[in-house]
Amino acid sequence: MDLDLSEEQEAIRDMTHSLLEEYSSVEAVRIAEDDPKGVPEALWKQLSEGGLVGVLIPEEFGGGGLGMVEAALIYEEIGRAMAPTPHFVSGVMSASVMLEAGSEAQKLAWLPKIASGEAVLTPAWIEPERGYGEVGVQLEAKREGDDFVLSGTKLSVNYAGVAERLLVLARSEDGVEILLVDPHAEGVRLTHYLSQSGEPHYKVDFDGVRVPTSDRVGEAGNGWATWDTVMHRGIVLLAAQAIGGAARCLEETVEYAKVRVQFDKPLGAFQALAHYMADASTHIDGGRVLVHEAAWNAAEGRSIARFAPMAKLFACNTYQQTTKVCAQIWGGVAFTIEYDVQMFFRRAKELQLSWWDTPYLEELIAADVLD
Amino acid sequence: MNFDFTPEEQTFADEVEAWLVENHDPVVMDHHRENFSQLSDTPERRAFMKKLAAKGWLGMSWPKEYGGQEIEGVYEFILTEALARHAAPQIGKGVGIIGKTLIRHGSDKLKQEFLPKILSAEVEFAVGYSEPQAGSDAANMQLKADKVEGGWNLNGQKMWTTSAHFAEWYWVGARTDPDKSKHNGISLFLIPMDHPGLEVQSLPTIGKDTTNQVFFEDVFVPDDYLVGVRGRGFQYIAEALDLERFTMFTLSPITNRTQVLVDYAKTSKRDGKPVRENPDTRRLIANIVTDTAVSKALSTRFLCAARGGGKPPTIPSSQYKLFTTSLSQRVCDEALDISGAAGTIREGQELAPLLGRFEGAYRATMNETVGGGSSEIQKNIIARRHLGLPKNF
Ligand SMILES: Cc1cc2nc3c(=O)[nH]c(=O)nc-3n(C[C@H](O)[C@H](O)[C@H](O)COP(=O)(O)OP(=O)(O)OC[C@H]3O[C@@H](n4cnc5c(N)ncnc54)[C@H](O)[C@@H]3O)c2cc1C
Repeated sequence: MDLDLSEEQEAIRDMTHSLLEEYSSVEAVRIAEDDPKGVPEALWKQLSEGGLVGVLIPEEFGGGGLGMVEAALIYEEIGRAMAPTPHFVSGVMSASVMLEAGSEAQKLAWLPKIASGEAVLTPAWIEPERGYGEVGVQLEAKREGDDFVLSGTKLSVNYAGVAERLLVLARSEDGVEILLVDPHAEGVRLTHYLSQSGEPHYKVDFDGVRVPTSDRVGEAGNGWATWDTVMHRGIVLLAAQAIGGAARCLEETVEYAKVRVQFDKPLGAFQALAHYMADASTHIDGGRVLVHEAAWNAAEGRSIARFAPMAKLFACNTYQQTTKVCAQIWGGVAFTIEYDVQMFFRRAKELQLSWWDTPYLEELIAADVLD
Repeated sequence: MNFDFTPEEQTFADEVEAWLVENHDPVVMDHHRENFSQLSDTPERRAFMKKLAAKGWLGMSWPKEYGGQEIEGVYEFILTEALARHAAPQIGKGVGIIGKTLIRHGSDKLKQEFLPKILSAEVEFAVGYSEPQAGSDAANMQLKADKVEGGWNLNGQKMWTTSAHFAEWYWVGARTDPDKSKHNGISLFLIPMDHPGLEVQSLPTIGKDTTNQVFFEDVFVPDDYLVGVRGRGFQYIAEALDLERFTMFTLSPITNRTQVLVDYAKTSKRDGKPVRENPDTRRLIANIVTDTAVSKALSTRFLCAARGGGKPPTIPSSQYKLFTTSLSQRVCDEALDISGAAGTIREGQELAPLLGRFEGAYRATMNETVGGGSSEIQKNIIARRHLGLPKNF
């Protein structure tokens, strides 16, 4: 048993850290908020050229060919820096769908472009008034000759404004399909809306959009199985992101608690506040090891059916709780736009609600334990 | 990064497990005793400890010259968790606190007298630090030790001396130098528990077993039985606590109880419907299982921090204790919530669900967030030593 990082892993973490320090400064993050594109060009260029976008993509497709542990280290840094990037939707989720189910031709066409940052792909999954499970995918994919015809609406399509393709989860007579759709195709309409974190979210309406069956990724009706597998890996990385955000938010709060004086004492001398911070640090340090354990199990090819939802559930609860008590410790200034703690506060809640929320994760764990 | 035990550690874990299955004895191993199952307080349990000693499993981390094997603390961790999983007595205060302190600071006489007996499980100890006015603030102990010809004369009172009613020897902190500062006036003594002038009074608890108060009236202790250097007692106590991290607070009882709860939810019905189908039950269990995985992660953290015999992993083990003791109580609380009205039936009666296992455990775990450094004390340690917050409480 050891928790040490290899030299290579340390190098990846440090490289990501300094890259993000420079290109994802708080100022850069603030500028990207609410922007329809939502990713600073310089940041995206650096992430791509540094090989970080293609971290999970095998070398034969132009990626770095690294594993889940390395990816988790990168995601902790992304969380720390609040980096505004389509890395997750493109480099993790779309790339993994392609790797898991794509044809050789699809992989060759898209994976190198994803890895180099030249193309962004993003999943279109969530539907209005529907949940996170398989039954939530109801957007109609009607078979007409060699085409599917798509009608319906998707929400929470992140970074659609910079995407070259959408990976649309739709329902055909065979079940759930994953389809490559050009967001500029006829009948597709993108509408940007503002999200809690300021990350670009889109509503996407499909009005009789024709998609050739050759643009289906994977076997007929097998889309949910693919998605479920990819999601389990993806949420481990989001859990790492949550730990990174929580850790930085706490660090900044601890420093503030040493210098802000009330009643002639630094805030950190008030035990009520010190104990909040001691609890938060315990949750963060424990959560980080749980996330590493999940990532390591995935890298070893072991099942993460239980580890992955546990990691996201705990890490996102920790992020949300940590930012809540940190805001309390900062006092009134936490409520102002000027101070940074609110940026973590909003992101923590959004991450908890996104990509499988608390009730869905709890049910995954309960089903694994009880059924 | 690796979350598995090494092959050698795994072999040891398998060997211990097989041995415990083979030596299963319901008189010695009783889950209903909860935390008190770790005590070696009956002839059967003491015989069991002798068998454990014969296996060479006591004092594994001790230096070879004192009969140990000089192996990493992780082996004692594996052994302790296995013993706790089977509700068997644990390796206890002798090997940990007393043995390790004597090895570091004891005279040759005390080493020769006690170390072999500890390794062969022939002696049980009681530990007396706490007093009416010295709880969390252990350095405030006031038990008086006056210098007399050839030794010391002790007068005063100890509180919470678990094991005093069956142990042979008493490991006691007393104030030898009242003029010195609070932390520098305490010395440690070894006293036979049946010594005239010692009076042990039982202090029954809601945890199904008893601890004790001990009164001292002119108890004479020869100079030889003052441990190490006069006035260094509190430093030895603190050091021993740090050395004891591996066997401190076990996770296995929580994992066991969670499994009992899961089995109960899977097999019982309420109003004709399986309990496991209740959405609240599912939620509670999902979170218990998750938090148990976090406790395990925190224990992995302190195990790894302690590897290679570096500095004692004070912070990771404080974090582990803080998180795990509160989880332990929550498991019992929520298990009772899941059992509903029947949960109120006192343990040990046929009528009670699971023979009242959770009713009993709910009571027995109450003290976990207080004893061994309360949750608040752990948070103080984390806040000051880990986060560097000012010392003001
Ligand atoms: C069943 C049982 C067995 C025990 N066995 C032994 C034994 O074998 N040997 C032995 O020496 N002792 C033993 N103890 C004593 C145990 O270690 C003490 O109970 C413990 O140290 C707490 O002390 P206290 O009970 O006096 O509570 P107090 O110290 O009075 O604490 C009361 C409350 O105040 C809080 N508090 C205290 N100081 C602070 C602070 N600085 N900041 C914030 N909050 C604070 C505590 O967290 C707690 O919530 C045992 C106790 C019990 C109940």
